[in-house]
Amino acid sequence: MNSIDPRIHQALDGEIARESLPPELRRVVDRLESAAALLAAAFPPQGAGLEPRVMAAVRRPAPSGERVRRLLRWFATPQAVTFRIRPAWSLALAAAIVLLTLVPAEERGPALGEHEGIAQFVGRFPDAHSVHVAGSFNDWRTGTIPLEDRDHDGVWRATVVLPTGAYEYMFVVDGERWVPDHWADRLVEDDFGRENSIVIVRATWR
Amino acid sequence: MALRPGLILALLASPLAAQSERDRLEGRVPAAAIPTVDSLVQLATREDLPTEPLVQKALEGGAKHQPAGRIAAAAQAMLGQLRDARALLVRAGDAPPATAAEVTTIYAALKRGLPGPVVERIVAALPQEPRGSALHAVADLATHHFEPDSAATLIIDAARQGLRGERLLDVSTAVLHEVQRGHSRAEAVAVVRRQLPNVPSPPKPARASVAGARRPGTTTLAPP
Repeated sequence: MNSIDPRIHQALDGEIARESLPPELRRVVDRLESAAALLAAAFPPQGAGLEPRVMAAVRRPAPSGERVRRLLRWFATPQAVTFRIRPAWSLALAAAIVLLTLVPAEERGPALGEHEGIAQFVGRFPDAHSVHVAGSFNDWRTGTIPLEDRDHDGVWRATVVLPTGAYEYMFVVDGERWVPDHWADRLVEDDFGRENSIVIVRATWR
Repeated sequence: MALRPGLILALLASPLAAQSERDRLEGRVPAAAIPTVDSLVQLATREDLPTEPLVQKALEGGAKHQPAGRIAAAAQAMLGQLRDARALLVRAGDAPPATAAEVTTIYAALKRGLPGPVVERIVAALPQEPRGSALHAVADLATHHFEPDSAATLIIDAARQGLRGERLLDVSTAVLHEVQRGHSRAEAVAVVRRQLPNVPSPPKPARASVAGARRPGTTTLAPP
């Protein structure tokens, strides 16, 4: 409950003229104005608003030791991590990882050892239905290494990983006809009335 | 009498190896040829000669549908050639025992037509290392009508200038390239001799070729 006469408020707020008050109320108003003047003198205005003062305090750099301590505290404090998973995106990501790990390996071909190399067998057999290569690299088995004629131009090819070394070989056309590699420089008698070709496989270290 | 563990192992391993080689022949070589080939393999084992070339020759004959007698004769002839190869190694100064790989290498070089004295020269000139590549390099040049002795001199010079192993094959390849460019054989040898040891290396196989490569079951005949 306010015990002050409302006319004192009105006079302090300038709503009514001080001269219109009775003398005792006019004295109270004078005393209150004197007290207000004393308070204003004790706490002078800062010259800036609250917001600029708060921002200035925030921008003030912390001492460097304090910054390091804060960083260390952040590292040492357990942090809550939240994952929000969308099943569709997760499956797509898993599929991409599988593709990246498996498909390029297929494209690169077999990994070669330090003592392994590539042998390429090429022969021209326009009328052949099948061509294989048999030699000392596969115990002269006739059906294990087929050559392919993918573009049907009569040139048959196979690329084989072999340990480094020298090997004798022949082509087997249509499963029964033994034919030397006419494009090979190195030939040697096979002791059965024909000539084997020789391939030298060099290391293809990569 | 106390038997040494190594001797016991050798006594046990020898029949096992012979059995495994007989197993490889069964069904792939005419049955009539197997006893002869088998006895030749055992003979080679006792003489410390390589047996794998004999097995390979029999398998090759079987695959090529050769009659038993011809396969046996080919294996018999090969055993003699393997003995000659080892004798050559001894003559050239190799300390016994000769390894199976070295005997097979010398056998292959003689089979390619290199004269014995030329092979002997190369063996003596490269005493501490595999000679397969050197011998193939000389044989490659001889195949293209280079005089084997001068071809051997070039390859031995290349080895003395630091080229080793498969790099010696690049020397013969470089000489043949010079011939393709129009040089005479003597000029080609002279050009490459001046380049030594900086002969070009062969190109690496294309990535696409490597990607399409597959592995068969493998057996080495002779290291290069």
